[in-house]
Amino acid sequence: MALKFKGKVWVFGDNLDVDYEILSFRELDAGIIAPDKMGEWAMRVVDPDFAKKVKKGDIMVVGTNMGCGHDHYLSNVAIKQSGIDCVIAESFDRNFFRNSIAVGLPIIEYPGINKLAKQGDELSLDLKVGTIKNLTTGKSGKFKPFPDFLLEIVDAGGLEKFGNKLIAEGREQ
Amino acid sequence: MGKTIVEKILAKAAEKPEVSPGEYVKVGKTVRFVLMGTDSTPKVGPAFQRLGWDKLWDPTKVMVAPDHCGAYTRVGSITTNREAHRLNSEWARSMGVPEENIMELGRVGNCHHLAVEKGWALPGSVYLSGPDGHTITVGGVGCFGSCLSASANFFMRFGWTWFRVPESIKFNITGKLKDGIMGRDVYEYILGLIGPTGAIYQVMEFTGPVMEDMSIDGRLSMCCLAMFTGAKLGIVNPDQKVIDWFKARTNVPFEPLVSDPDAKYAKVYEIDGSKIEPQVVVPPHRQTGVKNIKDVEGTPVTNAFIGSCASGRDEDLMMAARILKGRKVHSKVMFNVTPGSSDSMARSDKAGYISTLLDAGCLICAPGCGMCPGFYTPLAKNEVCITSSTTNIPGRMGDPSAQVYLGSPATVAASAIEGKITDPRKYL
Ligand code: SF4
Repeated sequence: MALKFKGKVWVFGDNLDVDYEILSFRELDAGIIAPDKMGEWAMRVVDPDFAKKVKKGDIMVVGTNMGCGHDHYLSNVAIKQSGIDCVIAESFDRNFFRNSIAVGLPIIEYPGINKLAKQGDELSLDLKVGTIKNLTTGKSGKFKPFPDFLLEIVDAGGLEKFGNKLIAEGREQ
Repeated sequence: MGKTIVEKILAKAAEKPEVSPGEYVKVGKTVRFVLMGTDSTPKVGPAFQRLGWDKLWDPTKVMVAPDHCGAYTRVGSITTNREAHRLNSEWARSMGVPEENIMELGRVGNCHHLAVEKGWALPGSVYLSGPDGHTITVGGVGCFGSCLSASANFFMRFGWTWFRVPESIKFNITGKLKDGIMGRDVYEYILGLIGPTGAIYQVMEFTGPVMEDMSIDGRLSMCCLAMFTGAKLGIVNPDQKVIDWFKARTNVPFEPLVSDPDAKYAKVYEIDGSKIEPQVVVPPHRQTGVKNIKDVEGTPVTNAFIGSCASGRDEDLMMAARILKGRKVHSKVMFNVTPGSSDSMARSDKAGYISTLLDAGCLICAPGCGMCPGFYTPLAKNEVCITSSTTNIPGRMGDPSAQVYLGSPATVAASAIEGKITDPRKYL
């Protein structure tokens, strides 16, 4: 994982629930969704063909209260498995935010993103500097970057990999 | 400038002089307890094994308890909850977690009740649990609660996690609640006022004379529900009641913190508590709306339930017993009362509430989450339930065709008598 992203934008709406729009808890609970096939189920309720259309490295742009509902982190994993490298939201749910970072799916809060990026636009993003560029329209924006310790978690690809890095480098205190 | 209670708790936990909204903090050393629950984290041991992680950062701080299980539930592919809990406990023991930190199934109840009953969720501190967003319930005693979810394993191995400091909204609730109006009604009233996205990523700080009057149980119930307005958590400034509660339960030192009078809030709502009527949330789910009871009175119900992390405390059972004393549950209604914790059940038994409820025809279940997630006596097709549990999304308590109305324990008890939604005040 790096801290720079470039990809095509997929736009979804407000109040996407982890257990419904993002990944159906019903199918998950019933064992219908295999752990390594969650990406194929991501966003299926909203766009049945999403998994077929999305490409590795694409970017998801969503509205307010992204990932509301429970603290079920498999939804974050499903988005990541679908190929999406980064999520930009008008606002997000606390647990969704924390779980995204934990599983290595970078997520940025950027009020106004729905004005800056439309479906199909090409976007580039630098997490370290805090910049978004819409390569299709030429518009750009800035956000407050994460502090270094959080960037390091994101850069490592989530908490598990970060933990192993800490152990390997003798920094576990 | 002044600081809010949450800013103070996070600053102290992060060992910083002060913090402000939007800032990211690392929190670790100061955390006294973290709960490893059975139901949501039975995969902890295997995950540690897979990652080659061979120790916990501080086994004495890890508490192991059945979390929001019922005594009878399955956990994924594991046959029984007891088995899941045993596997978890055995792994925790092998990691050096002391025996007194491991709670056996049947002696505890719902994990969010437990945190307050056992004195883990200390006022002025950060309390973490592996599972479940309703960990924020502990805001009712002035504690910053958070579930770790996907960060749980990392925390248990390395002993730290991070938070983004949230803004706070202040709800100043003045006046005096009418008899029969409970914390539950106050929260639903606020939900009706600001809507399901009214407090996204913000803290709901409940203050004012109504909160000062309110029992700890009522405060916990309100904070438990805070997530349904999009909030990060709800919190109440702790007072003497809370301090006495914890002094009786723990020798661990704690320092209650409260908001400064000149703290900065994103918004302040003034609410006249004396105007609040019993509130009912109607199906199919919370977004549909909160109503005054008079708008839904008379709706027939087949089931009633008091329990979950949002109710099932002493005050809730007391209120139900007060309403049902010398009366009977309607012949067509099954009324399940599941105390939240074993401690609360024992107190309610001594106080005589349990026998009153049994005399009235209630079903009393083993402490836990009860019907909330459909663990005990799940709703069947087309049944209609009035409940003081957390939420009413379709299928939540059983069959998706069942209808779930949410109200206070008082409203639930009165409705159980009449077999239809009933204003509890006529039975007081
Ligand atoms: S009572 Fe319901 S909401 Fe609370 S922890 Fe249990 S299942 Fe979750």
